[in-house]
Amino acid sequence: MQRLLFALLAGGLFGAGLTVSGMIDTTKVQGWLDVFGDWDPTLAFVMGGAILPMAVAWRIAARRQKTFLDLDLPDLPSDDVTPELITGSVLFGIGWALVGLCPGPALASISFGGWGGGLFLLAMLAGMLFAPGLRAQIFGRLTQTTPRSKMEIRPLTPTYAVSPQIDPADLAAVKAAGYTTIIDNRPDGEIPSHLHTAVMKAAAEELGLAFVANPVIPGGLTMENVRIQSQTIADAPGPVFAYCASGNRCSVVWALVHAGTRSTDDLIRVPSKYGYNLEPLRGQIDALAADAAGGKD
Amino acid sequence: MGNHDWIWGFTGGLLIGLAGAVFLLMNGRIMGASGIIGGLIDRTGWSNWAERVAFLVGLIAVPPLLVPLYRVVDTHITSNWAVIVIGGLLVGLGTRWANGCTSGHGVCGISRLSLRGIVATVFYIVAGGLTLALLRHVLGVI
Repeated sequence: MQRLLFALLAGGLFGAGLTVSGMIDTTKVQGWLDVFGDWDPTLAFVMGGAILPMAVAWRIAARRQKTFLDLDLPDLPSDDVTPELITGSVLFGIGWALVGLCPGPALASISFGGWGGGLFLLAMLAGMLFAPGLRAQIFGRLTQTTPRSKMEIRPLTPTYAVSPQIDPADLAAVKAAGYTTIIDNRPDGEIPSHLHTAVMKAAAEELGLAFVANPVIPGGLTMENVRIQSQTIADAPGPVFAYCASGNRCSVVWALVHAGTRSTDDLIRVPSKYGYNLEPLRGQIDALAADAAGGKD
Repeated sequence: MGNHDWIWGFTGGLLIGLAGAVFLLMNGRIMGASGIIGGLIDRTGWSNWAERVAFLVGLIAVPPLLVPLYRVVDTHITSNWAVIVIGGLLVGLGTRWANGCTSGHGVCGISRLSLRGIVATVFYIVAGGLTLALLRHVLGVI
């Protein structure tokens, strides 16, 4: 219920902002895009005004594990620049310039936009309805012809690297990079069967790589996970390569394994190079480090 | 009102950013108008339909309450129905392919310095600018 109220509030604020800023006036939007005509700078002030509170919100979110309603924070979208992104943005830009409406203002102005506003909204919804089918037809082929493997080895130390999900064909490259031991931190339940632990293990062992399954359930990391990771790293004859969905869990376990042996700042800073945010775990790493220190006395 | 347009623009922008902040920090969602409505249209967002509908109710209901209070609002939309239909189709198709529009890529993406958000924004603004230059100043159609 609270969730719906805040969604209503966010929608209301958004609608108010679009109205107050003048962005529901198509001539202001076209005026901003019309560099060779009577240029209207308003839209730049709107964007600037909107980005400020949003940038603060991202900083607050980075320090939290849950929202203020105790809901999950969103997974950050990937940063891949794809043909769909470019083509879609160009088509959107053309349509935006033709009429001067983007999806937010098209919805916000529907009660007073007249027949033109209604027709635009209908056409936009039709475009959205056809978008997935057309995308599959046009970009489905494109995606298949581009090379599939985009594996990226992300070393946290010279002897421990993390990575997003790999597939069996990537293992040869992992071996070639000098790794001797693979840790699979991803539960089978999350992935299609051709990537399941048994398949990966067979492929790794065929190449002479050691393979250890240590599934970490998202949000349900256990000390047993930390112990297995620690043991595997200690026993490995050479560098260790760990993978999960994004590499985040492999980084979290790594930081907990080394709590107390390296500074907490270091354990957080190193994975942040690859965009893994371990800041919310600071307290946990400190507590483990204190435990470890206590145990030695 | 002409000379004060930038103040209204900035104030409205702050409200838009605040809306995005509420949606992120309370609901744990990234505010993008095209994604919220598009997910309802193509069924990919039906699992949390109520939250999407609540957002849309706020978005649609608040502007007409504000209009009589202090700004005379007219969308000044073109009366050329063919332009409206083509524009609407392109906006619907393009924002779903790009997975975002002015709010998702422009506001939420740029504010966290997302490469995708910045690239998308550059491309739709340049495409929009060229479209207006060509159709308004070269061909004189719109």
